[in-house]
Amino acid sequence: MAAIVEERRETIKEIVTDILEIDPDEVTETSLFKEEHDADSLRAIEILAALEKTFNVVIDQSELGRMVNLKGVYEVVSDAAGW
Amino acid sequence: MRGESGRRVVVTGLGAVSGIGIGAAEFLAGLRAGKSAARPVTAFDTEGFEHAMACEVPDFEPGRWIRNLNIGNLGRASQFSVAAARMAVADAGIAEDALRAVPSLISIGTTDGESGDLDQLVETEVDLGPERMDPTVARRVPAGRLSAVIAEEFGLSRTEAVTLPTACAAGNYAIGYGYDAIRGGDVEVALCGGADALCRKTFTGFYRLGTIAPERCQPFDKDRKGILTGEGAGVLVLESLESALARGARIYAEVLGYGLNCDADHPVAPNQDSVARCMRLALDDARIKPEEVDFISAHGTGTRANDITEARAIRQVFGDDAPPRTVSIKSMIGHSMGAAGALASIACALALTEGFIPPTINHVETDPECGLDVVPNEAVDAELRVVQNNGLAFGGNNAVVIFGKRGTDWN
Repeated sequence: MAAIVEERRETIKEIVTDILEIDPDEVTETSLFKEEHDADSLRAIEILAALEKTFNVVIDQSELGRMVNLKGVYEVVSDAAGW
Repeated sequence: MRGESGRRVVVTGLGAVSGIGIGAAEFLAGLRAGKSAARPVTAFDTEGFEHAMACEVPDFEPGRWIRNLNIGNLGRASQFSVAAARMAVADAGIAEDALRAVPSLISIGTTDGESGDLDQLVETEVDLGPERMDPTVARRVPAGRLSAVIAEEFGLSRTEAVTLPTACAAGNYAIGYGYDAIRGGDVEVALCGGADALCRKTFTGFYRLGTIAPERCQPFDKDRKGILTGEGAGVLVLESLESALARGARIYAEVLGYGLNCDADHPVAPNQDSVARCMRLALDDARIKPEEVDFISAHGTGTRANDITEARAIRQVFGDDAPPRTVSIKSMIGHSMGAAGALASIACALALTEGFIPPTINHVETDPECGLDVVPNEAVDAELRVVQNNGLAFGGNNAVVIFGKRGTDWN
């Protein structure tokens, strides 16, 4: 179980860092995409779309408000996927 | 050109392809009646979308308008573009040989070019492989054809054919370019406007951004839910006032001036100060004071972001007390992208000629943060002298055109 969780976290981190064009070492569980990593609303939607595709889930756009850092993203995807 | 007098420029022909009517007369009837073009999408498979309404042009028969070109060699946007040009030239009463004899300009704005054809080519490539892509369809794709095919249809060789890809403000850019060309004496006739056809790519893009309304487009309404994508074309015939008077042409309106700017501030969000600056540029160019504007044809897409920013920019320029009545015909015909500015300009020209203001339909309650009289749901009769047409596009591309009533001397 722990291995699966770790793998999911890694995949999410890869998606986010790839879209934000940042080094994986720069981002922490709680560093803020917008304030600390120059993300904007379009990037946020790109992240949302990539997560939907990768995990085969549907995420409501109102969830963008929670997707401010990796921790938030993981929670939103968990809720959507029923992990 | 500012500061130089130049020639006066008038609109003498109108060609409209829209979801509420084809040809100036049908389009006018639709505007007056507050008709809605919204219906379920038929242009592409909508499986997987929770909602898929749009403002398509139903029952378009290109063969009714296009005489010389092989229709199979034209994408849908080019068909719209040529059809609208044919209508506009016929409406202006200019004979084809007379058109061929003078230097002319063709400027057509667009957002997507023939992206509908690209959708199809990519689908074929993915499903069946690149070798199966239809070469005829591939040859239809370059956006430059939207203007070039008009020259081909009429057999014009003394013409400059240019396609302006400034997205949702492109129709106004194209009219501004035509205005300069006539004003400065470079050409004698300008066919200006815009064209776009509904395509999956753009629908999906806006859908993904969360900006497609589920059922209807409600600009400036408290509960507005976004745009409906649309399609069509608008072409206006511009010529000098002397030329129009000399041939006894019907004059719909005078183009008094225009303004355009690009702030490149944000990929999709309009910038209020920049939009206000663009309106001031247009008013200055037209030598019109804000209080002289009788109504504004807004960009008015029906998204949260556009409508509030545009309304604030209008109040910034026109004052909080009594900004002009501000309407959005996108409530009726959807957002026809590159055609939007051109079709709205045709609506402005018709409004000036017929003495009415088209309504903003689907209106329930005005957003107090917008705070404008949007002429809700029903057209009103009005004596008009000056109208302003706003076009705002992604990337901060703004273009505003000012039209005046014919036969009026503004100096």
